[in-house]
Amino acid sequence: MDLVQIARSNLEGFRYAGTEVALCVLIVALLLSGVILPFRKNRRLFLIISMLGLALAMTASLKQPGAGKGVRYFADLFLWDSFSVFFKLFFVAAAAFTILMAQMNREVEDYEFNECCLLVVSVTLGMVLLASSVDLLMIYLAFETMSLLSYLLVGIRFREARGGEAALKYVLYGAFTSGVMLFGFSLVYGLAGTTDIMEIGRILNSAHMAGQNRALFVLMVLFFLAGLLFKTASFPFHIWCPDVYEGAPTPVTAFLSVGPKAAGFAVFIRLFYTLFAREVGDQGFAAIEQVDWPAIVAVISAITMSLGNLSAIHQDNVKRLLAYSSIAHAGYLLMGIACLDKLGLEAVAFYLVVYLFMNLGAFAVVTAVNNGEGGEDIRFYRGLSARAPMACVAMAVFLFSLIGIPPFAGFVGKVFLFSAVILKKYYWLAIVAAINTVISLYYYVRLIKAMFIDQAEVSFEPRVSGVSYAVIGALALPTLVLGVYWQPLAAFIESIF
Amino acid sequence: MKNFAFNVFVIITLIPSFWVALSSNIVHAAFSLFFTFFGVAGLYVLLGADFLGVLQVLVYISGILVLIIFGVMMTQRAQMEHISTRLPGRFAGAVLSVLVFGGFMVAVYKTAWPKLTELPEPVPTTSEIGNLLLGKYLIPFEVASVLLLAVLVGAALIVRQSVRKE
Amino acid sequence: MNSLTTYLLIAAMLFTIGLFGVLRRRSLIAMLISIELMLNAASINFLAFTKFVSPDPATGQIYVLLIMGVAAAEVAIALAIIISLYRWLRTIDIERADRLRG
Repeated sequence: MDLVQIARSNLEGFRYAGTEVALCVLIVALLLSGVILPFRKNRRLFLIISMLGLALAMTASLKQPGAGKGVRYFADLFLWDSFSVFFKLFFVAAAAFTILMAQMNREVEDYEFNECCLLVVSVTLGMVLLASSVDLLMIYLAFETMSLLSYLLVGIRFREARGGEAALKYVLYGAFTSGVMLFGFSLVYGLAGTTDIMEIGRILNSAHMAGQNRALFVLMVLFFLAGLLFKTASFPFHIWCPDVYEGAPTPVTAFLSVGPKAAGFAVFIRLFYTLFAREVGDQGFAAIEQVDWPAIVAVISAITMSLGNLSAIHQDNVKRLLAYSSIAHAGYLLMGIACLDKLGLEAVAFYLVVYLFMNLGAFAVVTAVNNGEGGEDIRFYRGLSARAPMACVAMAVFLFSLIGIPPFAGFVGKVFLFSAVILKKYYWLAIVAAINTVISLYYYVRLIKAMFIDQAEVSFEPRVSGVSYAVIGALALPTLVLGVYWQPLAAFIESIF
Repeated sequence: MKNFAFNVFVIITLIPSFWVALSSNIVHAAFSLFFTFFGVAGLYVLLGADFLGVLQVLVYISGILVLIIFGVMMTQRAQMEHISTRLPGRFAGAVLSVLVFGGFMVAVYKTAWPKLTELPEPVPTTSEIGNLLLGKYLIPFEVASVLLLAVLVGAALIVRQSVRKE
Repeated sequence: MNSLTTYLLIAAMLFTIGLFGVLRRRSLIAMLISIELMLNAASINFLAFTKFVSPDPATGQIYVLLIMGVAAAEVAIALAIIISLYRWLRTIDIERADRLRG
């Protein structure tokens, strides 16, 4: 392409990059309003600005591409297709709920609220770019934008050593795994001679690669997995997760457990299903011959969910418990990726949406309990239902949904995942997942029992504000509705793959 | 002449890098890093990336390395070593590294890399990089600037908090 | 001597040394330094491939440019956190910072 063509492509790209532009405008608006001193501690102002900006970003991403393979924009570095639109909407929604939770949260102090919003929006920008980029260079940059800024978000709370310690661990593990992944990128670039992943996918899957030696492909797949498994908090790169989730402010924890995790899955699907697999027929994919990566992913998925659920059993800290639960859920989601067909991918996307609502909801209740004189330990939850009945009922809804009990959305998500796995004849994986669901019953129900049956140990007044109730309600409603009326969402998701 | 330069750069890249990984004295490790960065800059130049060679010296040696040495000096007496990292032990680490390197040996030698038959003459690349940064890679360039801006804000926030504490 | 495989082996060695350093080291700054070695190894790979493989001679150089930017940001973040953690530990006088264990 010559320069004129590129300039035209860059200009035309703005038609498809509405979400990114809206987020950039929001970042600038937050930055400028943050330096005006009288506004410095005005949480409501920053909340309104953020919500307006995110609403703008949401409307900008609503435009649906038609059928076909989508449109390349910004000098072919990005792809505008239903897949990226779906994830853009997802990330903007996650950011909106996070900022609402941060506004009502007292762990984030007034003078840091502006920066907190700014960082959440910047991480969202990184995730949105990640969902739509189809060039190794851009994927790396967007991945690092998302990661580096989430390290900073974790470090926001520095009134306790553990906040800094958590952030430090997160940075070191993150820098390590992304360095490994980058080395994998360099090998792929060398093998294909280009950075466009569609082109690389064609080259890697072509016949003349079949004779290539396996060692290189094994290394490439393992290096890619290192970065992606870290982001999704899966075995063997899950060790940071409980510490970071416990040490970070609760809204940030909620955001990390949903946003970057889903972004990890998005880029996982994008990279592995483009580079290391090719479409076969209408519904299926075939992995490259050199490495049987679906089997590796299936094994990792089984280990991840078992490890997450078994470690969660002993946890008395609710945030740590939810951290292990989120590791377990990463395991469930990996099952869908191992399936290597469209049914599995649809199940992953559906489960991610459900997970967005139920997991953010659980963390919203934790935030609300933290706000009074309460804490994160399970003893603060004993007998809580007498004092905050609505919050406890909502928490029960979220937890039942996380287990996957029928009238709630989590059940439908699990049914999709399990049916995809069983149709693919991964019976052992389905059995492991079923056993894990039973194990998870124990620790979720233990928390529910603590809230409704146990006697109160600590007497404190939970101060759940009106905004908190609104947020919790807004998250509980989809968790209930999607459990009985899931067809529209399922139909929408069917159209994106 | 070129081969001689190549050998020298390889030696000053690789030998100090062992020190970086092995030395128990963190100041020695940081100082060895200086040689490694310098050797890598030389390799860049031999690979036809003159601009990046200079940038390596400017960014890595006078930026990143100075920052690291700053960090080493400021936190020298702190008991930071005790933060548990819970990575695999030394033996497992050594085994893993040897395995990875063995994999590389096989991969590098056995792979038929799609080599160009005719290598183009090395030319100064600065103007080409400029064209690409303002042309095809304009958006990544802008994204990188947003990233750096947000990092600036966030890092200032973190450090400011501990100042407030004092 | 001066061929693609030589450069790839140098990069592989640098990467492995960095990997070993990260796994072996217990000191945080030393881990950070080892990670820098790994990033440099990846950069050498990119430039070697750009010279010997890619028909388009400057793409890899843009890549390395961005890696440098990201690495600098990464080090800045890590050191900001290390220094404030250090200050925190010094002022509050807690002997150790390993209260989080999982």
